[in-house]
Amino acid sequence: MTRRGYWVLFFGLVIAALLCKACIVRDVPPKAGQNTNAKQQSATAAYTMPKNVTLNGIEYLQSQAPVGKFGGTLVSSTIGEGPKTFNPFNCKDNTSSIMSGIMYDGLLTTNPTTGDVAPKLAKAYSISPDGKVYTIYLRKGAKWSDGKPITADDVVFTWNNIIFAGYGDTSTRDSLVIDGKLPSVRKYGDYIVVFAITRPYAPFLRMLSTPIAPKHIFAPAVKKGKEYFDSFLSTTAKPKDFVVSGAFKLKEYVPAQRVVFERNPNYYEINSKNEKLPYLDKLVYLIVGDLNNEVLKFEAKELDVISLQGSKVARYKAMEPKSDFKLYNLGPDTGTMYLSLNLNTRKDSKGKYYVEPIKQKWFNDLNFRRAVDYAIDRKNMVLNIANGIGAPLFTPESLNSIYLNKKLKPYNKDLNNAKILLKKSGFTLKDGKLFDKDGHRVEFNLYTNAGNTEREAIGVMIKQDLEDLGMKVNFKPIEFNSLVNKLVSTFDWDMVIMGLTGSPLEPNGGKNVWLSDGRLHMFNMRTPQEGKAGILPWEKQLDEMFTKGALATKFEDRKPYYDKYQEIVYTQKPMIYIYSPIRIVAIRNKFKNIYPSSLGGLTHNIEEIYEESNKK
Amino acid sequence: MDTLKYILKRILQTIPLLIIVSVVSFFIIRLSPVDPLAELKLNPSISPETVEKERARLGLDKPIIVQYGKWAISFVKGDLGVTSTGEKVSSKLAERIPNTLLLTSIVILLTWLVGVPLGILAAVRWKTPFDRIMTVVTSIGMAIPSFFFAVLLLMFAVRTGWFPIGGLTSAGYADMNIFGKFWDITHHLILPVFVLFTISLAGLQRQMRANMLDVLDSDYVKFARAKGLSENVVIYKHALRNAVNPMITLLGFEFAGLLSGAALTEYVFQYPGLGRLILEAVMKSDINLVMASLMMGAVMLILGNLIADILLIITDPRIRTGA
Repeated sequence: MTRRGYWVLFFGLVIAALLCKACIVRDVPPKAGQNTNAKQQSATAAYTMPKNVTLNGIEYLQSQAPVGKFGGTLVSSTIGEGPKTFNPFNCKDNTSSIMSGIMYDGLLTTNPTTGDVAPKLAKAYSISPDGKVYTIYLRKGAKWSDGKPITADDVVFTWNNIIFAGYGDTSTRDSLVIDGKLPSVRKYGDYIVVFAITRPYAPFLRMLSTPIAPKHIFAPAVKKGKEYFDSFLSTTAKPKDFVVSGAFKLKEYVPAQRVVFERNPNYYEINSKNEKLPYLDKLVYLIVGDLNNEVLKFEAKELDVISLQGSKVARYKAMEPKSDFKLYNLGPDTGTMYLSLNLNTRKDSKGKYYVEPIKQKWFNDLNFRRAVDYAIDRKNMVLNIANGIGAPLFTPESLNSIYLNKKLKPYNKDLNNAKILLKKSGFTLKDGKLFDKDGHRVEFNLYTNAGNTEREAIGVMIKQDLEDLGMKVNFKPIEFNSLVNKLVSTFDWDMVIMGLTGSPLEPNGGKNVWLSDGRLHMFNMRTPQEGKAGILPWEKQLDEMFTKGALATKFEDRKPYYDKYQEIVYTQKPMIYIYSPIRIVAIRNKFKNIYPSSLGGLTHNIEEIYEESNKK
Repeated sequence: MDTLKYILKRILQTIPLLIIVSVVSFFIIRLSPVDPLAELKLNPSISPETVEKERARLGLDKPIIVQYGKWAISFVKGDLGVTSTGEKVSSKLAERIPNTLLLTSIVILLTWLVGVPLGILAAVRWKTPFDRIMTVVTSIGMAIPSFFFAVLLLMFAVRTGWFPIGGLTSAGYADMNIFGKFWDITHHLILPVFVLFTISLAGLQRQMRANMLDVLDSDYVKFARAKGLSENVVIYKHALRNAVNPMITLLGFEFAGLLSGAALTEYVFQYPGLGRLILEAVMKSDINLVMASLMMGAVMLILGNLIADILLIITDPRIRTGA
C-alpha cells in the first residue's frame, strides 16, 4: 500500500472512532448504596377513597384528593404487540384487559390501600346474612359517554345476555356454575339489581368488578351471534363507536405504535370543587416491543411513567436528584417465582411412565424435596439477580396478599441440614457425587423458558446450589411455548422454574394450580380422564381447603383455610418458592396526586392525577 | 410474442414451486413443539372450556393434513384466514405493508440514486484518494451489522434528543396539520433510512465499481480509446451500458426485499412494519399469519426475478436471441 493509502485508512478509522464515541453511553455510575434504596421511598401520604355525594339530584363520586389543574397528557407504555381487542368481554391477555378496563367501569372496585371492596359504578352494595343475595344500588344520574343514563337494565343485560349467555371469554361464567346453576340477576326499579346464588360463594363479590356494558350498544351485537361478538369492538372498530362509563374513551389506535384515550366528559366523578373529572385531557399508551426500548423512550422523555427492572434501579436512583422524575417503591410484586418438581407417578396412554421410575422415587421423597429447598440460597439470588430489589419468598401467596400466612417463617440456606435429610432417605455422597440407595446417580433436567433472563439466571444459581449437594443438574432453557406444552400436555419434565401471577386479593384464583384436578396442577398434573387418580393425602387436604375457602363469605372465616393451604405447601414443598421482585416505578415530577400502592400500582386513581404545569 | 410466451412459461413454473414452499413451511411450523395456546393454558384465570373453544376455532384438533388442506383451499380462494387472536390476516397485513413499503422504497431509491453514480465515479477514478476513501467507507458499511448500527443510532438519539426513539409517528400526530404530519414522519424515518441506506449502499457501490472496472479493462474499451473517442463517450456510451447488466439482476432481488428486507432494523426501531408483526407471529406459531407472509415473500422473490429477466431481455440483445 502506498503512503497515501495509509493516510486514507488512518482518517477513515479516526472518523469511524469519532462516530462511535458519540454513541457510547456514559458508564453506569458506581453501584453505591445498591441494596439500601429498595426500602426508602415507600408510599407517602395516605390515600382517601372518593366518597358518594348528591348534587342536583345526581349521585356523584367525589374525589378527596387535592384539587388539580385540568388539561395535559400522560404517556405510559405497554410492552408487546398491543391490545388485541377493546371489548372487555373478549380479553384473554393482560394488555387488552387494561385497555378495556380504562373505558368500562365495573360495579365495584378495590380499595388500593386496604384491599377491601369499594363501590364504583354502584354507589353501594349489601350482602344478605346467609351470603346468597347481593344487592347493588346504582348511581342516579350517572351517564354513558353518549349521555344515556346508566341503569339496572345495563347491568342485567351484561350479566344475563353477555356473561351468562356465554359470549366472549367464558371464564367468569364457567367459574360461577355452582351445583350446575348460574346465579340469577333481577332488577327492582331502575337503580337496584339483585344477584342471587344457590350457595354462598365468596369470590363472587369481587367478580362484580367485571365491566358493565351499555345495553343500547351491545344488544345489537349480541343479537348477531357469538361469532360476530368475538370481533365486536375489536382493534379495527372506529373510536366513535365506543360508548363508555370509565374516565377515558378511545380516541385513536395506531397498530404497533400507540393507543390514545381522551377524557370522558360524562364521567361520574367530581373533585371537591364539584368540577367533573378526570383532569387529564389525554392518556396515551405507547406500544413498545421490548424493555430496552421502553427504557430508551423514558430517557428520551417520550414516556412519563416506567416500571423498572431490578438491574436498572441503581442507575435511576443515582439519576433521580438531578432529573425530573421520582421513583416510587410499590413493594413486592404479585408475581411469584418458583421451582417445581414433577411428582407424577402415572403412565401415559401408551403405558410409558411420564417420569422415569427412578426419578419418581426421588421427587416423591419429602426429604429430597426439603433438601433441595434448604440448598437454595434465596438471599444470594435476590442480591445478585434482582440487584437487591426483591424479597425471599416461602409461600404460594405473594407477599402483598391480604391472605398471606405470616406465621410461616423464612429460613436461610442450610447445606448441613440438607445433607442430613438426604442421608435419612438413604442417599450417599461419593467423591462429591450423590447416589440414591439403589446406587443410581442423582441427575435430572431443569427447565425454564429461554429468553427470560431473570429465570435463566435463577436456573444457573439453582444448578450451582444443587451441585453443592452432589446432584447433577442439566439446565435447559427452552422456548416458552414448548415448555408450556411439556408442563400441561406431555408431562415429561423433572424440574422447572416458572412464575405465575396471582391475585393478592382473591386466593381462589389459584385453584387451577392447587386443586388436584386443576388445569395448572403442574407438579402432579392429571389428564381429564384420570380425574383425581393417585391423589396424595396432602393434595386431598388442599382440595378441601380450596373448596371450603370459597364457600365461606367473611374474610375472617376464609383466612384459616387459606392459611392452612399455605402451610401445606410450605411443609410439603411440591413447589419451592424463590423470591418476589419489588416493583419500582418512575414517574415525572410534574404529575401530582400520585398515591402509589402495592395493590393498585401507580395510576389506580388515573382520574385524579393531574399535570402541574400544562399549557392549558 | 416470444417474450410473452416466455413470461407465461415462467409464471406456470412458479405454481409447483409455491406449492412446495407452502407444504414445507406449513409442516415445519406445525411439527415444531410450539403450542399456539401456551399463553392461554398458563393463565390461571382462563377456564379449560375457553381453551377447548380456542383449539376448535383454530382447527388444532384436526390432523395436520386436514389443517393444510383447509388452509390451501381458502388460500387459493384468496382468503388468508384469521390470526390466532381472530383478526383478519389480510387487514392485519394491510395495516403494515404501506409502512414497510414506505421505508424500503425510500431506501432503495436513495441507494440506487447515490450508489450507482458513486460506483462509476470510483471506477473511473481508480486508485485516487476518492476511490480509497470510498473503499474505507463502504468496508465499514458492509462490516457493521444492521441491528448493531441501529442500536448505536438509537443511543445517539437518546443522548442528543435530536431524533425520536423509534416508531413512525408521534403521540400528537392526529392533531397536526399536513406539514406537521409530513415533517413528523420524515423525522421518524431519518434514522432507520440512514441505517438501511449505509448498509445497502456499500454493497451496491462496490458491485457497480467492480462491474465498471471489469468493463473498462476490456479490449473494446481500449480500442475505443485508441480510436480517439472522448473519455465521456467511452465511459457513458460504451462501458456503462455493458456494466449495468448485472445490476438489473440485483434490482430483481431488491424488489423481493421490498417487503422483507428490513425486518431487523424495523425491530430495533420499533417501526410498525411487517418485520415486527411476522417475528411475533412466528414466536407464537400463528400459522395463518406466518404462512401469508412466507407466501408473500416467495411470490415477491419470483416476481422480482421475473421482472429482472424481462428487463434483461429488453436491455441485452444477446439474451433476446437466446430466449
